[in-house]
Amino acid sequence: MAEVVFIGLSLGSILLLIALGLTITYGAMGVINMAHGEMVMIGAYTAVWTQIYLGLNLFFAIPIAFLVTAGLGLLMERVVVRRLYGRLLDTLLATWGVAILIQQAIVLEFGLRFFDIRVEGLGPGLQKVDVPPVFLQTFSIGDFVIQPYRTFIIVLTAGLALLTWWLLYRTAYGMQVRAIMRNPSMAASCGIDVKRSNALTFAFGSGLAGVAGVMISGFRTVFPDMGTPMVVDGFMVVVVGGVGSLLGSIASAGLLGQLNGVIASLSNDILARAVVFGTVILIIMWRPKGLFSFKGR
Amino acid sequence: MTAKSRLELLAYCLFIAGTLVMPQFLDEFWLNRVSKYLIYGMLAVAIALSWGYAGVLNLGQGLFFGMGAYMLAMSLKLSSFTSLQQGSDEPVPDFMLWNAEPGAPTDLCCITPGSFLWIPFQEQWFGVAMGLVLPALLAGVLGYAMFKNRISGVFIAIITLAMVLLVRLLVIDAQPITNGFNGLTDLGWFTISGFEFDPYLVETYYLVAGCLAVTLIGTRLLVNTRAGLILQAIREDDSRARYLGFNVAAYQVFFFMVSSAIAGIAGMLYVVSAEFASPTFMDLTFSITMVVWAAVGGRHSLLGACIGAILINTVEATVSESEMFVEAWKAIIGLLFVLIVLFLPRGLAGLASDLCDRLLAGTAKKRPAASTSVRTGPAE
Amino acid sequence: MALTRRTFVTTTALGAAALAAPYGFVRNAKAADEIEVGVLFSLTGGLSIIEKSLADVTLMAISEINAAGGVMGKQIKPVVEDGASDPKTYNEKANKLVVRDRVPTVFGSYTSASRKAVLPVFERRRNLYFYPTYYEGFECSKNVVYTGAVPNQQLSNFIPWIIDNLGKKKFFIVGSNYIYPREMAKVCKILIEANGAEWVADEYLELGHSEWGAMVNRIKDSGCDVVLSNVVGDSVVAFYREFKNQGLTHDKLPICATVTSEIEIAAMGPEFAVGSYTSFPYFQAIDTDVNKAFIERYRMFVNDPNAVTHHALESSYFQVFLWKQAVEKAGEATPQAIVEGVKGQEFDAPNGHVKIDPENLHTYLTPRIAEWQADGQGKIVDDYGAPIRPLPYVAYGETDDNLFCSAAGLDSSKL
Repeated sequence: MAEVVFIGLSLGSILLLIALGLTITYGAMGVINMAHGEMVMIGAYTAVWTQIYLGLNLFFAIPIAFLVTAGLGLLMERVVVRRLYGRLLDTLLATWGVAILIQQAIVLEFGLRFFDIRVEGLGPGLQKVDVPPVFLQTFSIGDFVIQPYRTFIIVLTAGLALLTWWLLYRTAYGMQVRAIMRNPSMAASCGIDVKRSNALTFAFGSGLAGVAGVMISGFRTVFPDMGTPMVVDGFMVVVVGGVGSLLGSIASAGLLGQLNGVIASLSNDILARAVVFGTVILIIMWRPKGLFSFKGR
Repeated sequence: MTAKSRLELLAYCLFIAGTLVMPQFLDEFWLNRVSKYLIYGMLAVAIALSWGYAGVLNLGQGLFFGMGAYMLAMSLKLSSFTSLQQGSDEPVPDFMLWNAEPGAPTDLCCITPGSFLWIPFQEQWFGVAMGLVLPALLAGVLGYAMFKNRISGVFIAIITLAMVLLVRLLVIDAQPITNGFNGLTDLGWFTISGFEFDPYLVETYYLVAGCLAVTLIGTRLLVNTRAGLILQAIREDDSRARYLGFNVAAYQVFFFMVSSAIAGIAGMLYVVSAEFASPTFMDLTFSITMVVWAAVGGRHSLLGACIGAILINTVEATVSESEMFVEAWKAIIGLLFVLIVLFLPRGLAGLASDLCDRLLAGTAKKRPAASTSVRTGPAE
Repeated sequence: MALTRRTFVTTTALGAAALAAPYGFVRNAKAADEIEVGVLFSLTGGLSIIEKSLADVTLMAISEINAAGGVMGKQIKPVVEDGASDPKTYNEKANKLVVRDRVPTVFGSYTSASRKAVLPVFERRRNLYFYPTYYEGFECSKNVVYTGAVPNQQLSNFIPWIIDNLGKKKFFIVGSNYIYPREMAKVCKILIEANGAEWVADEYLELGHSEWGAMVNRIKDSGCDVVLSNVVGDSVVAFYREFKNQGLTHDKLPICATVTSEIEIAAMGPEFAVGSYTSFPYFQAIDTDVNKAFIERYRMFVNDPNAVTHHALESSYFQVFLWKQAVEKAGEATPQAIVEGVKGQEFDAPNGHVKIDPENLHTYLTPRIAEWQADGQGKIVDDYGAPIRPLPYVAYGETDDNLFCSAAGLDSSKL
């Protein structure tokens, strides 16, 4: 039983890791970032590159990926997202276009393939990231086998969630962000630099996606299309949790993760996926604002 | 009738006339190809109807397309030559035999669990009817649940998206009755009173073009009815419409059903001209791609969305002979899409409409551009 | 000299540009000294990772034949199309090749789904398809030549070998959720029971599924002593990685796979697969001069010194030569003539001697079992010695003496 709970916890932590960035960008800015999955993908590729070109392992890739994707997020906010505030559904479409562009940039090796130049760590093929050997040694307490890699993901996710909470609720920047969440024009008239704050928020959310990418690269394949299904999972978590609610996202990631883990263990993974989709549909129908929500906007 | 609506009428007539004279210029291969693109055009019309006119962004339109496709494909599968060769009096799809437990009876009633569902599909009219009714029915139930609860915007997008992924998963999993991932292939030809619609016949093309023309005219008339106008009022401000005493949910459900039924018909026509049905019809990317077509063509214009779909697919098919072009083409579509959403939210149709305005204004009197969105368009 | 990849791409691109003249008023004039063939694999999308290599090696085979004088003195001109990892596109492109370009043969497809999507085109238009991938069997088409392994060529020596040599008695069967793994499982069960062992579970995961936590946990709890994997695609990578993450090792609980090839091993990192087994007729590690030269030429052609070769890739290569021999025997390049000509054709392929069965148009292949090593290569631990006859209906009791699929077609009364 403990192992089933652990699997659920592990699934939930990965969901939360992906959704954390979305919670912030969607909650604070109302931007439906369909390129979030591509940010995860870029994070994973950053892990590949740090390994190939810097010879560094997964741990070092985490901060680097954060910076790379945060930078990319900043750029994206400046060039695309900024022009679409208030056009909620249009951000969904424009960022889908951006997602295709990012994917093709990797597939076409930033266009170098047209000149028949090959770059290692790019292109349409599968990439791999080596997992540090520490993570491969399992050890057991009684009957319970501890898997270091998954445990690390859980701990890291908890740490990042805590960091996000601290940033949002214990810093001046966080207070601004929350003010914008409630009412952007009121926040602006109080002297908050909404544009700057939004840009930072978007960069931070993208950076979190990059970290998620690094962790995911350790146990899944890395390839250009890997992000697409993730953004769907991420959005389900955010919407079920309640827009802009960090606690809601944590709760819904935990709920969907456990649901998936328990059903997958009792019956099979296909049914588990189906039940998760069904649950998401029902929850949104029952509580369109999500499990945890506030009145605002 | 204003000059502009006269121009619009002209555009519709030209387009429909254009599709009808195509067979004069194309060989059988391209005719078949174009008929598929016309079907995509129909899908874009369905998207424009629900998204542009009702403000309901359905990211799961592939669900209704796929349903229509599977319903007709089931009928056509039973009429195929191989289905009659499986050692039974009734036709039995070949894949059921592979999926059956050893020693199971080879009758449609009980060869695999659930195979009895196929029995009524021996009649082709039943498949056609189901291809129309089932998408509309599901849309009705789903729409009722959504719009009664006043769900809107992005939440609808997420629900429809989860829905299409859920059904896709179930279709793939129910391999004994759906042939899972491989889909339904090796189908018989669609037959109306003895006439077989070989996908390469001109008649098949006319069937598709005719359906598209009827759809275009029908939806265009529909959005101009009282109901259509109320729908647009709801899109602009649903609470105000509600306070005016309109049953908001009923209008939304109705148009959602119409849009889904059109997608269902498109699915059936696709099976007629492509001769297979596959769970990839319910892939997430396909559903979003439809939205892209409509957005590029112009979400507020039925004809614009339709032309957008045809245009994108035609260009894609012509550039796709070289691998490099294909990848580059995807990037170009991505870029084009971002630019259109940013600077041309009403798509090509919006551009055309602005140009018309200028043209008309130019003949009458100079007047400032009607919309800011033309600023970056090629018009300058 | 063989063409380099680059000039090859340029020439095909030029040829393609000529073909792309929109809305076909122009029928492309075929030069009398050329034979056009279709090459239809996914060059883009998720499956392009593998299918791209199949397309490359097909073009390599064509260029080698051309360099050696072509077929009956004519050069082969490939018409390359992209299936885009999507059955819809496959169907459309197959139509283009068959109806518009009127090629006499198309080489293509990796997945069963894409083959099923194009099959109606080839059967209706009486054209010919060469399919290079191992697949589930249960097909008896007069319009397809199958050069990959069928279940009896992957399993009939594998299962007894696992039971006898590894001493394993309890099988956990796991696969991706579609027809190939399900059919493989069916054949596995027959063989397992016939050899006096048992299977404890038969489980499936969505194609492309990458979250293996729950499944590996169930494997752990099931009490099995061997895992038989029919998992396909990038799920394979996640599976082997999770297997090790949960502390399972191949020396105690080996994964015996029917799909895991050099490509997947390279993508997961060989350390995750060391000590696991795969059954295929071809491995890159086959130690013959023919194979070594083949690998060398392939690496040169794709301009990548680390490129790996695998079973479907090797089949994609030798099937072009079988086709060439068939055309020469038939004396003309029409689909019907080639089908007749290909029956019984033999060729010395990198994996050894291959032969097309004149009855069911499948290929005689030599089953082999390899144990994966730390360098990403398989060490061949068992070799059947001689090619065995393909039996696409083995799950229904087809045997060498009692063929279900013959030149006359499928005898459905035997099913």
